[in-house]
Amino acid sequence: MLFNSFEFLIFFPLVFVAYWLLNNNLKKQNILLLICSYVFYAWWDWRFLSLIIVSSLIDFTAGLQIFKAQTQRLRKRWLMVSLVANLGMLCMFKYYNFFAESFSDLMHAFGWQPNDLTLNIILPVGISFYTFQTLSYSIDIYRKEFKPTKDWVSFFTYIAFFPQLVAGPIERASNLLPQMEKRRAFKKEWFNAGVIQILVGLFRKIVIADTIGTYVDLVYGDVSLYNTTTIIIATFFYAFQIYYDFSGYSDIAIGTAKLLGFKFYQNFNIPYFSKSLTEFWRKWHMSLSYWLRDYLYIALGGSRKRIRITYRNLMLTMLLGGLWHGSSWNFIIWGGIHGTVLSLEKYLKTTGIINKFKRFGFLGYPITFIIVLFSWVFFRAQDLQSAGLAIKKIFQLDLSMPYIGDLNVMASSVFVLTIGVLFDLYLFNKKIDLEDFGANFSGVKMAVIATVIITLINLFYSSSNNFIYFQF
Amino acid sequence: MNKEHLKYLVKITLLVIVVSFIVDKVVFLALNTISDNVYSGQSIGKLNQYLKVKDSVDFVVFGSSRANHNIDPRIISKKSFNMGMDGVKIAYSAVLIQLLPKDKQQTILLHIDSNYAFNESYDGEDVMALASKYNRNKDIKIGIDKLNKNNNLQKFYWSLGYNGKVLGILKNYLDPKNDYTERLGYEPIYVSEIQHNIFENIIHRNEVIDLDTFCGTHYNINATYSQTLSDIKAFCDANNKKLILFTSPKYQYPCKKANAEFKALLTAKGLTYYDFTDFFKDDNQLKYWKDKTHLSHLGAEKLSEAVKEIVLKAN
Repeated sequence: MLFNSFEFLIFFPLVFVAYWLLNNNLKKQNILLLICSYVFYAWWDWRFLSLIIVSSLIDFTAGLQIFKAQTQRLRKRWLMVSLVANLGMLCMFKYYNFFAESFSDLMHAFGWQPNDLTLNIILPVGISFYTFQTLSYSIDIYRKEFKPTKDWVSFFTYIAFFPQLVAGPIERASNLLPQMEKRRAFKKEWFNAGVIQILVGLFRKIVIADTIGTYVDLVYGDVSLYNTTTIIIATFFYAFQIYYDFSGYSDIAIGTAKLLGFKFYQNFNIPYFSKSLTEFWRKWHMSLSYWLRDYLYIALGGSRKRIRITYRNLMLTMLLGGLWHGSSWNFIIWGGIHGTVLSLEKYLKTTGIINKFKRFGFLGYPITFIIVLFSWVFFRAQDLQSAGLAIKKIFQLDLSMPYIGDLNVMASSVFVLTIGVLFDLYLFNKKIDLEDFGANFSGVKMAVIATVIITLINLFYSSSNNFIYFQF
Repeated sequence: MNKEHLKYLVKITLLVIVVSFIVDKVVFLALNTISDNVYSGQSIGKLNQYLKVKDSVDFVVFGSSRANHNIDPRIISKKSFNMGMDGVKIAYSAVLIQLLPKDKQQTILLHIDSNYAFNESYDGEDVMALASKYNRNKDIKIGIDKLNKNNNLQKFYWSLGYNGKVLGILKNYLDPKNDYTERLGYEPIYVSEIQHNIFENIIHRNEVIDLDTFCGTHYNINATYSQTLSDIKAFCDANNKKLILFTSPKYQYPCKKANAEFKALLTAKGLTYYDFTDFFKDDNQLKYWKDKTHLSHLGAEKLSEAVKEIVLKAN
C-alpha cells in the first residue's frame, strides 16, 4: 500500500480510530498495530510477509539468548546467528544476481563462458530497511547498550510498524521499542505537527518530485540524445526529485507515527544547505548515515586509529552504503565518490589546511552541491554505460539551448520546485524543524494551512510514480 | 484519549473539511470564470473552441497528437476543426464525438493505432483529460463515469478537475497566442534544430529490435478499446455521421503483421479504415518528420492532401 494511494486514505483513518479506541489496553493496541502493519505490507505481496516474520523471530530469539548467555563465545555465536540470517536473506534477495552477473563477466574476461547463474528473484519491498533495524537490535544487545524485550508482540510490531516498514526511517530499537512498550498518550501538539508534516510530505512527493521526475525520466531514458545543458538541467532536477521524493516519504512516515503517539527521529534536515559533504551526511537520510556510522564505521575502528585507517574506514563505509542502495556498480561508484570527498575533507581538517580558507567558507555551499549533483549522475543513470555517457556529455560543454520537452510540464516543474525551495529556505532561515512546524498552530491556522496545501495538491499533483526508495 | 481530545479532533477535522471544501469551490468557480474565456492552448482553450464550433462544422478530426499535428483540416474543408489532442487516445475522442449534434450531417476522421488497440492494459484513462468539465457538462460526466475513471475525491474537491492545467490556463488567459480560429485547431510542427538533431541521432543509431517484443504476437483488440469503437460507430450510424478511421505515418515501422491484422479486424466490424503507416515509403525525406510518429508541417501538408482524397471519396 502506498502512502499516496486512495487505499491508504481509507486505511489510515480506520486504523487511527480503532487504535485510539483501544487506548486503555496497550497489548490490544499493539496487536492491532501488528495486524494493520502486516495488512499494509501484504497489500503489496503477502508472500514476503513470511520473511519479516522469520527475521523478527530470529532476532527476538537471538536478542534474548545474547542477553542470557554466560560466556562471550556464546554471545558471539548468537550474534552470528542474527548476522548470518539477516544478511543472508538480504544478500540472497538483493545481491545474488549482481554477484552472479559480476562473476560471469569476470570469467568471461578470462575467456571462460560459465552458464547463466542468475535467478528469477523478486526484491521484497523494504528488506534493506527492516534488515538494518533487526540487526541494530541484536548488535545493541551484544554491545550491552540495550536490554532485549520479552514481549514478542512489541518486538514484532517494532519491526513491522507500517509507517516505517517499507522505506524507513530506520528506527533504532533504543528509540522505538520503549515507546512500543509503554502507554501512548494523545497530544494535540503531536496531532497538529503530524497532520501538517503528512500534508507537506504529500506535497513534496506527489507535487514536486513526481512533476519534475517527468523531465528527468525523459532525459535519463536516453542520455545519448541530449546536450550538456539538457543533462545538467535533468541532473539538477533529479537532485530535487530524489530529495523531495524521499524526504516527502519520510515526512509522511514521521507524521503518521506521530498521529499514533510515536516519535521518530528526524530523517532529513534541508541537506542541500550544507557547507561540506560531512555536514550533508548529517542532514541526508540521517537514519541510514547514523546507522552506518554506529554499526560499520565505528566497528571498523572509526577515527580512533591512524589517519590512513580512518580514510579506509570512510571509504569502506561509503562503498557499502552505496551498495546498500542497490546491487549495481553505479551505486558503488556513487558511494566511492562520497567516500573520497569525505576522506579529502577529513584530510583538510586534520592538516589544518581548511582553516586557511575560512573566509571563503560560504563557497562550501555551492561546492558541496556540485559534488552531490555530480554523484547523482551515477545514482540515476540506468547503468554504468549511461552514467559514463552522461558524464562525457557534461564535459563536452555543449552549451547550446537545452531541450525542454513539454512546455507545460517544464513550467509546472519550475513553479512547484520554486515553492518547495522557498519553503525550505523559510525553514532554514527561521531554524525551524518541519517535525515541530505545526505543533502550536491554533485550530483556525491549522485549517487554513492544511487548506492551502490541499488546494495546491489538488491543482498540481502529478499521477504518482512509486517512491524511489522502495527499490532499495 | 479523553473527551477533550475527542472534541478537539472532531473540531479540527470538521474545520479542515469545511474550510477546504469552501476554498475548493471558490477556486473552482474562479478557474471556471477564467477558463471560459480561454480559447488558446491545449489545457482548455482547444476544448472550449471545439464546444463553440462543433455544431457548425461539417468535418472534424479526432485523435492523439498524431491527429493534432499531422492533419491540416483547412486543406480538406473550410468548415472544419481538428480536435486532436496530445497524449489522448480513443476514449477521449469518443466522449467528444458523442457531443456532436444529432441531426447534422458531418464527417468524422478519427486517428487510431494498432499499438493502442492491441495493448491489453488500455483502460480509457485518457478520458480524464476532460476532467475540467466533469462537474460542468452532463454528457462529459456520463462519459467519464461510464469508464469508471472518475477520481472519487473529485466529487468533493471539484478543483481536482483542473489538476495540471492551471498554469496553462493562466498563461493563455493573460497572453493568448493561437485561438485555433485561423488554423481550425491544427497545430503544425515547425521542427527546431535541436529536435532535428535528436531525430537524426535516433535514426542513425540503427538499433536492432526484436520484432516479437516490439510488435507483440497476440493481436486481440483490447475490450475497452473495442467497446469504445463500437459506441462511436453506433453513434455515427444513428446520427448522420460519416466515420473514417485512419492511422498516420510512422518512420520505418516494422510491424506489418500487426497492422494487417488490425485492418482485417476493423473491416470485419464494418468500419472504413485507411492505413497510412507507409505513406512516405517512396519519398521518405527527413524534412517530413519531427520524430518517428510525428510529421513536420511539410509532412503534414502532404498527408492532408492524401486524406482529402479519401474524404472526398467517402462523401
